[in-house]
Amino acid sequence: MTPRAETTVARTVAAPRGASWLETIAVHAVFALVVVFFLAPFVWLFTAAFDGRAQAYIRLPEQPTVDNFARIFTEHDFARALGNSVLVAGATMLLDVVAVSLAGYSLSRLDLRFKSWITYAVLLLQTMPLSATMVPIYGLAQALGLRNSYLGLILIHAAIELPFLIWLMKGFFDGVPRYLEEAAWLDGRSKLRALIEIVLPVARNGIGVVAGLSFLAAWSEVLMMIILIDKQDLKTVPLAFYEVLRTRGGYTEVQYGLIAAMGVLYAVPVMAIFFATRRMMVRGLIATSRGL
Amino acid sequence: MARVEYENVSKRFPTQDRAAIDDFTLDVADGELLVLLGPSGCGKTTALRMLAGLEHPDSGDIRIDGKSVVGLEPKDRDVALVFQSYALYPHMSAKDNIRYPLRVKHMNEAERERRVGQVAEMLSLTALLERRPARLSGGEQQRVALARAIVRQPRVFLMDEPLSNLDAKLRTHTRTELKALQRQLGTTTVFVTHDQAEAMTLADRIAVMDRGRLLQLGTPDDLYLRPVNLFVAQFIGSPPMNILAAEVRDGALLAEGTWRLPLPRGIAAKSVSVGIRPEGIELDESSTDAQVGEVLVSEPLGSETIVDVKVGGALVKVRAAPQVRPDPGTRVHLRVDPSAIRLFDTASGSAIA
Repeated sequence: MTPRAETTVARTVAAPRGASWLETIAVHAVFALVVVFFLAPFVWLFTAAFDGRAQAYIRLPEQPTVDNFARIFTEHDFARALGNSVLVAGATMLLDVVAVSLAGYSLSRLDLRFKSWITYAVLLLQTMPLSATMVPIYGLAQALGLRNSYLGLILIHAAIELPFLIWLMKGFFDGVPRYLEEAAWLDGRSKLRALIEIVLPVARNGIGVVAGLSFLAAWSEVLMMIILIDKQDLKTVPLAFYEVLRTRGGYTEVQYGLIAAMGVLYAVPVMAIFFATRRMMVRGLIATSRGL
Repeated sequence: MARVEYENVSKRFPTQDRAAIDDFTLDVADGELLVLLGPSGCGKTTALRMLAGLEHPDSGDIRIDGKSVVGLEPKDRDVALVFQSYALYPHMSAKDNIRYPLRVKHMNEAERERRVGQVAEMLSLTALLERRPARLSGGEQQRVALARAIVRQPRVFLMDEPLSNLDAKLRTHTRTELKALQRQLGTTTVFVTHDQAEAMTLADRIAVMDRGRLLQLGTPDDLYLRPVNLFVAQFIGSPPMNILAAEVRDGALLAEGTWRLPLPRGIAAKSVSVGIRPEGIELDESSTDAQVGEVLVSEPLGSETIVDVKVGGALVKVRAAPQVRPDPGTRVHLRVDPSAIRLFDTASGSAIA
């Protein structure tokens, strides 16, 4: 859309031609309400984190302090929780990128029997709600000795997102012309090396999107962490939240300031990653929605 | 340097009811530039891709230098393919594109650089080496694709319509350069095109294909002067050969019911198709014994004029001198050079004389 077209649309939405000033005000009021609704949690997060006496509602700190941050590190070993979360999400991301590259490429390129069945079966898996399979996953992890281990958490996190990411990546691979890898084969490359040296770099926006989504999903997943991890030194950020809620004076006296401080440190890294890679993400997501 | 042989090769794609390649046998001599020519869907590209190892024949054998390559991976065939779309790696500079096939061979850095430099020089790419493909024009991309093929010094060059994405002027220019380059390198080349003019100018020999079959293999002159059937006759030449329905009656050939033409000896068939190249007919305004026709339109092309003449129910194209420009509606006499007459069996389309 050209900038001119964009402003025209904005003007038309905000003040439809022939609308009275009353209607204009009503439209703006609705917009404002929506904006407030979505921004309020963030406002709370950033005010409460610096407030020594934070509450469950938004209030400006009387004396802004970084005390909450100091306390989560000294009393709750938050550095370890952050480190663990980075480790789990990072490893999940790497595993997903490797698995998704190979699986997506296979579904995009190979002449497999029942390929469309397999492709749809993969998507069907994604529709399974995680909580429905929670019990068997727990049992499986128990049986394989994967409880209280990062390996278990990483494998399960990677697997949860896999079907959707495979489907997504298949779309990106479909958009890479076949003649590029054929050229690489004729230039003397094996199929695997052609994939690594030519196809993956050309589909790098897709890899970026897959890596980002995989990291985000593992970073913010809670359910599996709660049921699989109960050792102090293995705790991740969501478990640290849980710990603050649980141990400090029970559920009645919640330490909102600590929660908010953790929330800030939990949210900021992913926001930073998003801003650093936003061009790639947006380009990649636009490409998928177009079907490439 | 290599000889290429196809022997009784057949290939059918699962989604199609007709074979893509049907009992295809062809021999390409060492150092030859052979053009596979035919309309789209005739199987020429499939034949090329099978030689590259990108498709596999259902039956038959393909050999390079006497050794079967069936079942070999593309990487193990030592052939280079120039794609219609060039297939340049978009994330690499022109130089890296050209160097890419050399990286796999265990060649020392200095030798690699020397070869890339030499090929870049040969194709006037030296100033463009640092650019990505997206910043090169179509013609430049095409030259990078050629350079990438040449730099390896492969046994065989395969070219899949490499000129069809260039504009008309550049296409003719590149055609000439390509031919000179192939002569200079002496590398066996199989070139696929649907453009008969391209085939005629480039080829040592042309293989005309239709519906998966090889119809005729020969030098450009062979195909032009002695087409084996109606398809080849009409596919080669611009404008194409005039084809008229005719009958043999009382020892003479009667085209379009009224046009008497000399009958080549030994023709027994009753009804035939007569083929005459546009330059086999002369316009004659004074003669009285020649066939009369009416000019429909004159197309001056600078070096010649193509005159469309209506004879009975048929339209005949005549190649005339540039200054000849009869007005539409003019009555003209047509004189046919007896040696220019080709006869085809109407039912089968095969040449009979």
